[in-house]
Formats: sequence, C-alpha cells, structure tokens
Amino acid sequence: MAWRREILLSGFGGQGVVLAGRSLGLAAVKADLEATMLVSHGTETRGGYVRSQVVISDREIDSPVAERPDIFLALSQAAYDRFRHLAAEGLTLFDGGLVRPSPGHQGREMDLPARAVALERLGTDLAANMVALGQVARVLGVVPLDAVRTAVAELSKRGRDKNLAALALGQALDLGGALSAGEGRGA
Amino acid sequence: MRRLFDTGNAAITEAAILAGLGFYSGYPITPATEIAENMSRRLPPAGGYYLQAEDETAAFHMAIGASLGGLRAMTSTSGPGFVLYADPYGWAIGSEIPVVVVNAQRVGPVSGITGAPGQGEFYLSRYPTHGGNFETIVLAPEGVREAFSMTIEAFRLAERFRTPVTILADQLVTDGWEAFEVPEGPGEAEALGLPIPARRAHPGPEFYPPTDEIDVPPVVLGRGTGGACSDWTPTEEGYDTEEVEAQMRHAFRLVYKIRNNRGLIDRSELLLMEDDPGLVLVSYGSPSRVARSAAREARARGLRVGAISLKSLWPFQDRLFPRHRTHLVVELNRDGQLVREVQRASGGRVHFLGRCGELPTVAELLEALGDVAAGQAPRAMPGARESW
Amino acid sequence: MDRLSRKFLRARKIPGTACSGCGLGQVHKRILLAIEGLGLGKDDLVWGTGIGCAGRQTFNTWLGDNFAGTHGRVYALAAGLRMALPRERRIVLTVGDGDAFGIGLKHLLNCARRNLDLTVIVADNLGFQSTGGQYGPTTPPGAVTDSSPYGLDEAGWLGPDLDILEILRAAGATFLARHLSLDGQGSVESVKAAILNPGFSLVHFIYPCVTHFGAVSLAERDKGRVLAWFREAFGDGPGEPGGGAGEGPGPRVGTGFLKFGRGVFHSAPGSRPDYSEQVKDWTRKMARGQGGGLATGNTP
Repeated sequence: MAWRREILLSGFGGQGVVLAGRSLGLAAVKADLEATMLVSHGTETRGGYVRSQVVISDREIDSPVAERPDIFLALSQAAYDRFRHLAAEGLTLFDGGLVRPSPGHQGREMDLPARAVALERLGTDLAANMVALGQVARVLGVVPLDAVRTAVAELSKRGRDKNLAALALGQALDLGGALSAGEGRGA
Repeated sequence: MRRLFDTGNAAITEAAILAGLGFYSGYPITPATEIAENMSRRLPPAGGYYLQAEDETAAFHMAIGASLGGLRAMTSTSGPGFVLYADPYGWAIGSEIPVVVVNAQRVGPVSGITGAPGQGEFYLSRYPTHGGNFETIVLAPEGVREAFSMTIEAFRLAERFRTPVTILADQLVTDGWEAFEVPEGPGEAEALGLPIPARRAHPGPEFYPPTDEIDVPPVVLGRGTGGACSDWTPTEEGYDTEEVEAQMRHAFRLVYKIRNNRGLIDRSELLLMEDDPGLVLVSYGSPSRVARSAAREARARGLRVGAISLKSLWPFQDRLFPRHRTHLVVELNRDGQLVREVQRASGGRVHFLGRCGELPTVAELLEALGDVAAGQAPRAMPGARESW
Repeated sequence: MDRLSRKFLRARKIPGTACSGCGLGQVHKRILLAIEGLGLGKDDLVWGTGIGCAGRQTFNTWLGDNFAGTHGRVYALAAGLRMALPRERRIVLTVGDGDAFGIGLKHLLNCARRNLDLTVIVADNLGFQSTGGQYGPTTPPGAVTDSSPYGLDEAGWLGPDLDILEILRAAGATFLARHLSLDGQGSVESVKAAILNPGFSLVHFIYPCVTHFGAVSLAERDKGRVLAWFREAFGDGPGEPGGGAGEGPGPRVGTGFLKFGRGVFHSAPGSRPDYSEQVKDWTRKMARGQGGGLATGNTP
C-alpha cells in the first residue's frame, strides 16, 4: 500500500534544522523515494523559529504540508509551543535540555537529549541537529540509514566527520520510540 | 539523467541552462534571489553571461537587449520587482522579443513578508504593462518538478510566439524543495517530452506580418538583416508609424497570435473529474497540491469532489468551468483574483477560500468543501459579508 | 537627399519631420561624417535611439539595424545587446537630454561605471521640446518655459557649479566631449574618437530649438539670433569656456551658466576595461574549463 510520512523539524535559527531536513530529503531521493520540504522562518533567521516540513512517500507527493506530522522534532521551546498540538497522532521528540514539555497534549513524546549528547560525546553542540536526525531516521524507518549517511556526507561542507559521528550517535540511541507499523498514513 | 533534491529556484536555473540560456540578468529579491545566485555560479561554466543589473527595470531591458542580439535570455524577480517590469514587458510584447520572466510571488501588498508565499499577481501578470491590445502567456508551476519542465516550456513558447512568457511561481515553489530529474542534454530532454527550440533570426525585410501566424522568427540585430524594432507602432518593416490601420494590424497580431493558438498553450490538470462531480476545487500553483490531497480525502469520505489545477493562467479555457458545477476557488490571497475569472467563465455558483502567507491545510479545505456541499459559504472566510 | 544620406540612410525617412531651424539634422550629419571617416558600413554598427525629438527623428534612419528603447532605458537595452554582439559591431545611440540626463540617468551612469562599449550621442535641445517645451535637466537657469512660467529656479545638470560631464567622468566614462551642432570637423573628430574608444563614450551635442526654446525662453524666433545665443552660451571654440555673465541676445536667459563650453572634456581610452568584454572573456574561460559544452552559441 502506498505510504506517506510527514516530518516536522523545528528549532531556532542556527541549529541546522534545514540541513537536517535537506539531508533527510536527499536520503529519500537517493533511495528512489519522493520527498518535499518546505522551509519557513518566524521573524528572523537567527533567534526566531525555523520550521522544516518534510514529506516522504513512495509515490508522487500531493500536499507538501506536514499538517499532522508522524514525527515532530522540537529543538526549541518556541517550536514546541507553536507546533506541538499538530502531532496529536504522531511522535514528538523534544530536546529536554532546551524544551520543557507542557502537559495535556495528545500523542506520545520523548526526550531526545541531542544537544547534551553532542556536547558530551563530540564536544560541540553544533552537531546536535545530526544527533537528532539520526534518531529521527531511526524512528522513521522508511529511509535507509546508509542513504542518510551518504546524504549527510554529501551536504556537510564543514565538519563532515563530526556530523557523521553525531548521526551515528543519534541512530544508536534507543529511546524505544519506533513508529509502529500502523503509524504513518496512506498517501 | 541526474536526480536532485533541491529548490524551485535551482530547478528553474538548471532548466534554463539546459534550454541554452545565453544571458541572465537580475536584481536580488527574496524569494527569487537564489535564481540569480545559482545563475552567477552555474551559467558561466555553461557559456552563458550573467549580469547583475542596477534595478529590475534594467534587468529586464538587458535581457531583451540580449535577446535582440540573438541570445536566449531570462530575468527573475518577485512582486516588488515585477511592477518595475511594466516598461520593458510592454516593449518586448510590442517588438515581439522572446524572453522568459520568473515572478516568485510573495505575500503583499508592497514588500509584505519576504519569506511567505502569495498569489497577488494573477491579474498583474495578465496586464503587466499599459496600452492594451495584447495577450500574455503566463504559466504557473505547482512545485519544483513542474518548475523545471515549465521553464523549458516557457522558452519554447517565448520563441514560438515571439513574446515574453511569465512563469508565475510562488515562494513555496521557488524556496520549496523537491526531488526532480535533470536530463543530461537536449537529446534526452526531447525524449522526455521537453524539446528545446532553436533560437532563430528573422531574415527580413517584413519582420511584423499582419497575421496571427506563429513560429515567425524574431528580429535579431547585428546580423545585417536591416532589422528594426521600437516602442512605436511598427509597419511590417519595423518603421514607426502613426497610421491607425497599421495600429489595427499590430493589435490584431499581438492579440490573435496567442488567442487563435491558445490550444498550444492551454494546459490544466484535472483530477477525479471523470464522473463529472458537482463540486470542484480550483487552484493554481502550490495550493493545487493541497487541493489534490483534499479532493482525494473528500472522496475517501464519500463526498464527490474533483479538482482542477490551472497550469497556464493566461490564456486558460473557459469551458473548464461549466455552469452546472459548484466551484470552490482556493488562492493565496484574501481579495480573490482567480475566483473572478472562474465566476466569469462559469456564471454558476463560485465560492472562495483565500489564505495569505501560508498554504491552507487539507483539514481547512475539507471543512470548506463540507460547507459548500451544504449550500453555504466557507466558514473559513469569517468577517466577510461577501467572501469575494 | 545628399550624398551622405544616400550612402547611409533609409530613403523612406529622409527628409525627417523636424521643425524649421532645428539643429538636429546637423548633429545627425556629424555622426554620419564620423562613420564615413572611420570607413564603417551599414553592417558595422547597430543604431539605437531614445524617446523625444532626438530619438524619434533618428529612429530607423540608419540603413543597417535599428532599435528604439523605452524612455530612458535604451542604455540598459543596449547593455544587453552589447553582451550579445561581437566586439567589432559598434553600438551608437542617439538620445535626448531628458532621456539621458533625466529619466535615464541611472542607467546611463551604470553603463559608464561598467565602461560598456557604447557611443552615446546626446542631442540636447535644452528641454522637453517634443512635448511642447517644458524645462528639462539641462535647461539654463532662469529660463521661462511652458512649465517654468516664472523662470526656472531649480538647479539643472548644466549650471554654474554643476556639469553633467563631470558626473559622467566620475562615474567612469572613458570619452566625453561637448559640441554645438554648428561645430564643424572638431565635432566629427570627437564622434570618431567616441566610436573608436573601446568603452563608454558620450558626445554631448547642444543644438538649437527655435520653435520652443527660441520662441519662449529667448523670446526670439529668428534663427540667426537664436544661433548667436548658443554660440555665446557654449563658447566660441573648442576648449573655450561658455560666455561671460553678459546678457545674450535674448532678453530672458543669460549665458554665463557653464564652466566648460566645447571640445573634448575627457579622453582616457583603455584606462578601464569594458565590462562586457571582461564578462565575455571570463565566461569563455569558464566554459572552456568545463569542456565548453555550449548550447548557447555565445562563445565560439
């Protein structure tokens, strides 16, 4: 059966949210899937929120809007507060070092300590986006992990090795959050 | 064939280069800046010239100057620059010079929000200059992949019809990312249904025939043909004239070369229309994709809905909108522009759902379809006694 | 039709529709003499024009290829055309004072800045005469015109402390000259030098308009007396400054408004690169580096 996955990545400017989205989209394309991404910015490039809506499917994509994301990655409080309600049927991954989750939301959510992992293991929080991407790709399941690695390597102008290491760290984290077979909607 | 994951701006750049672009001129403006940036990087290695202009008026004039010299030429901008195109746009229409123009619409009026999509230049693209007595060709891609193919199509139409062709995109198309395929060369492009036209030069001496014929080569200067073109009403040889009869012939040609050959331009996509549904979503550009999702979802919920996505905005076919259907027109503006043309063409029940700055959601369209099916105007348009 | 016209102009456009006493025909002739002097033929140059008397009267007179731009934008149009044509194909523009120094100044200055190989002949009749005689960017101070009925009180580009040629020089033009339409061989030599200069050249020809400027600003319909005013206002010979503070023959406008009268104002051929050739060379190099797969046909 045809399938479609919506991934909403959001944080503040400078965190590399768009690069994470691009990497995921490119990986999907390398795996002969279809992918779209819409990028939008709230107020400023740095400091406001950045939102990357990625849709991946095994067939041509109609709406590129992630209006009911299967995965919502929140790397800032503003992003969490603004978009958390959309993920009522999906899985929310928030970085507990940056986001304090609020109660009362529908849908599962888990703390993905991307920034802490990047700082502790790689000595830089610049690669936190790649730690997060690793976990997103793992949870998502539909894009082969080696395609994600290839895409990240291709798109990393600087810090390629660190990005790949971060990606691997993120992929290795077992938060128990895989999408169940029933999750994700038909196209 | 290369498969890329990139933006509409990148797709337009790659397509133009594949089409043999010889000259690009532009002026930075969000959300079309990336076309200029990509051109500056990609065009020279392909043998094309890049020139950054002092303003948008100059950019368009430079492009038609280059086209006048025989190069395939292009410029790109967003709304605030598109209004500055009025002057050269008219010149290129009157002198019948092929050029491709991209307008990445953002939300307005005036500067509005630079990074948010809009669809405010539907009419402006039809009437981009003064004086009347012309038709325009405007194509509207719904996404990155279509931006690629339409750019090549735009060069083909510009050459065949000797006129500027506008690619009326929106910010979600130009800044949005999608998978798309780039053929390796003109041969592969043609095999994929994207033939690349030759750039021709009129031998003279009768450069402006008093007919509606197309495929007449444009005037090219510098090749000893005695070519002449101007802002004045031309005689067949290109002399400026004040004879009203010549003006009548000129106007006939500019209007009817397009109107009488609209079958070569008209293009639209019909979805779920086979059973003649009574309720149809109408849109162009990026909202078309949401409309398609909504139409499929509505069908899944038992509502007999179809969707029409216009690909050529000007000209388009009135017969797409018969009176017996109810139409719900979705646009990225609150004033309603396309909806007026659909109303004119249909004469039946036409509703409007306008969003500005972001796409409507499938959920919103489903709600609006439910409202319209129940015989009322969409509740999603509050505060208006008349929605448009 | 004289010898030059037969050689270079389209019979259909000769004679033109200029008013009696108009000096534009003389300017036109100077250009043709220069072209002849350089041994150029109809296919060696493309002739462009602007809007106004100068543009409309000269459009499509040239036996070769012609174009007329929108008002003030023919410089940008010519810039694009310059990119498309080979180096040896000359581009000559005949434009008016309003077109060049008013509405088109921004584009003109940018062509000068890029030192594009264009020869701009500004045929200046000191105001907007084709629309009936309103003041323009070079109308002398104090002049009464149809749109300055109490005398022009706005500084123009030909004032006592401002000269448009200084601005063009500062903008990067590599050949600049000023002449009266009555000037003889000196002005022809300037046009020749302008055409030969491989960069941005401008020759500012001032010519009398008897119908409007003469009649309204000088209160004078006699062609001879109008010419006398022009001689006084724009100097007696090459390099001479404009006339002194004394009143001219007309009662309304003085003549002492110019520091530089006639002659070559600035000549620096080769001092700056022509940006169009620079782009072409560079693009050729880039394309060759890529194996030169050229669909464009730009780069032989």
